[in-house]
Amino acid sequence: MKICPYCAYSNREGFLFCEDCGRRLSGDANATMPTRTLLPSATKDLPKTNSNTTWGTSHFDPNATIIMVIRDADEPLHLKPETRVLFGRVDNSGIQKPDIDLTPFGALEKGVSRIHCAIYRDDLTLTIVDMGSANGTHLNGQRLTPEVPRVLRDGDEIQLGKLVTYLYFKSTSANI
Amino acid sequence: MLLDFDPYGELGIATSASQDDVKAAYRRAARRLHPDTNRDNPGAAAQFQEITAAYNLLIDESKRRTFDSEFAQMKQGAFFNFRVTTSKRALMRLNEPQVIYMLADILPNTYAAEHPEKRTSRLNLTLVLDRSNSMNGDGARIEKVKVAAHQIIDQLNQDDILSVVAFNDRAEVIIPAGLVKEKNSLKARVSMMNASGGTEIYEGLATGVEQIRKFIAPRLVNHMIILTDGHTYGDHERTVNLARTVASEGVTISTMGLGQEWNDKFLDELATSTGGTCLYISSASAVVRFLNDHVRGLTNVFAERISISVAPDPDIKLESAFKLAPNPQPLTIDQGNIPLGSLQFNRIISVLFQFEMPPDMEIGFRSAARLSASGDILGDKIRRHKVVNDMSLEITENNVTDEPPTAILEALGKLTLYRMQEHAQLALEKGDVPEATRRLENLATRLFELGETDLAQQTQAEAQQVAFTSTLSDKGRKALKYHTRLLLSAPYQEKNSE
Repeated sequence: MKICPYCAYSNREGFLFCEDCGRRLSGDANATMPTRTLLPSATKDLPKTNSNTTWGTSHFDPNATIIMVIRDADEPLHLKPETRVLFGRVDNSGIQKPDIDLTPFGALEKGVSRIHCAIYRDDLTLTIVDMGSANGTHLNGQRLTPEVPRVLRDGDEIQLGKLVTYLYFKSTSANI
Repeated sequence: MLLDFDPYGELGIATSASQDDVKAAYRRAARRLHPDTNRDNPGAAAQFQEITAAYNLLIDESKRRTFDSEFAQMKQGAFFNFRVTTSKRALMRLNEPQVIYMLADILPNTYAAEHPEKRTSRLNLTLVLDRSNSMNGDGARIEKVKVAAHQIIDQLNQDDILSVVAFNDRAEVIIPAGLVKEKNSLKARVSMMNASGGTEIYEGLATGVEQIRKFIAPRLVNHMIILTDGHTYGDHERTVNLARTVASEGVTISTMGLGQEWNDKFLDELATSTGGTCLYISSASAVVRFLNDHVRGLTNVFAERISISVAPDPDIKLESAFKLAPNPQPLTIDQGNIPLGSLQFNRIISVLFQFEMPPDMEIGFRSAARLSASGDILGDKIRRHKVVNDMSLEITENNVTDEPPTAILEALGKLTLYRMQEHAQLALEKGDVPEATRRLENLATRLFELGETDLAQQTQAEAQQVAFTSTLSDKGRKALKYHTRLLLSAPYQEKNSE
């Protein structure tokens, strides 16, 4: 079974295009995982919003913010992505500096590269791209091919090296 | 003896093979293709007969000697090549069925391009024209058809053979089959047609068949064009049966539906079962161009009566076949030999097959399907030239991530759109209006994304129409079906026609 990353339709294995929405299915046989259990630590850290009603959606409201929960960290990060947010670790020798420095979260020990990955905002979706990191970026447990963008969904688990984070979308309307 | 096939190619052995090799090769092939292990597999049945014929010829020493001496002279000259690519060269073993695609291309060899004197194809053409009352509509369609027929007569050579039949409830021969000699008098006869009465295609086809049969010959391009703008009632089965009969005699039938009221399923079936093309002509003003283009294509024919047969291994299922070029069109797979019409000098015939592979296959290399293409080469008077392609695949433990060939990806991306409208229409036939609407909206979205704005807007409008009235307009239905098909033709043919 191959589940379409755009519309979640279950296609037969071997299909190259989704039968339902007509988009290209990824060449990888395990591109999408059918079910996924969130770790207890993720639910514990989840901010008290009703954002869980949007779990699994790739729709990202232009006014929404990202809440990035880093495992074993006290405070989640609140990000408002413009066109690109670069994740990495600030290092004296580095020429290019990331937008978000993960050093306070033990980035060095956990093998986060100086420029590790980036989140891009398109019109209504977010995509993640591995920037050629040394220890790789995993989306929901699957290693990303460097430079190949993947769509992000509310509730996704992103692992940078050994640093595990969870991503939630928080629309501003939910705040009111 | 007739040199109508190549027994060595058939059995996949060298011309120097010993009698024991012949026996071994036959046994190997027969195990795969035997009807007992291949129920409901028309391709295998057809190929089994052929390998048996090849075996019987080669195992008889004297017959083989005669054949060898004649075969030596035949090897050079014009023929076509047959190329098969799969969407993946290796498959990962899975515990569920998986789909694989095969793209089969038939292309003339370079000999054809280097020897222009061989490019002589004579036509045996029959036009079967609807002259029912409805042909008066849409700014006098019948007049446009007359203009088109005149231009066709101008285009033909003196040694081509033409006949014209007009039909309403009955059929009448306007021009009996004969050489195109006095063009003006032929044109005058066409001009005298006028429109009245109902539509009975069978009458037209039957009379057309009588005419085309007078000159039917393996060295000619025997082609019939049926042009109609209306429904025909109660004679579908008879018509299709007759079409299949003449197809087996070497005639290809193309159908053209004019306006919105004709039965697209029926005309599609009529064309595909003979290797012809079914075209949708939305307005009368386009008739002239469509007909002329079509006939011009026929004058460039390199090989005729091309057909392809597919025999998947017993555990593999052939699910569908779609002709990508020329003239994209779904094919029926219930015939052992799928007729594909003519191969032109400068064109390629491409067919995309979809197979389902069984779960839990053994690791290692395995055979998948035996494909064979055959046809008559007109310039060199070779009958039933045939090329066989045995496809095998590797089954592995590991995930295979290599990208499918671009040609398959491109074709499939567009074919998916055609399938989407098909699914929408299927949902509608079942009465599932929300599902049909949703699928049409999906299709519209994709078309917008691909920059096909006009078709996307039309699809969007049809989606709304379905939501409100639970039906598609006749026009919308045909537009979606035939225009999504056309998406396949534009870029694909350009790339391959160079």
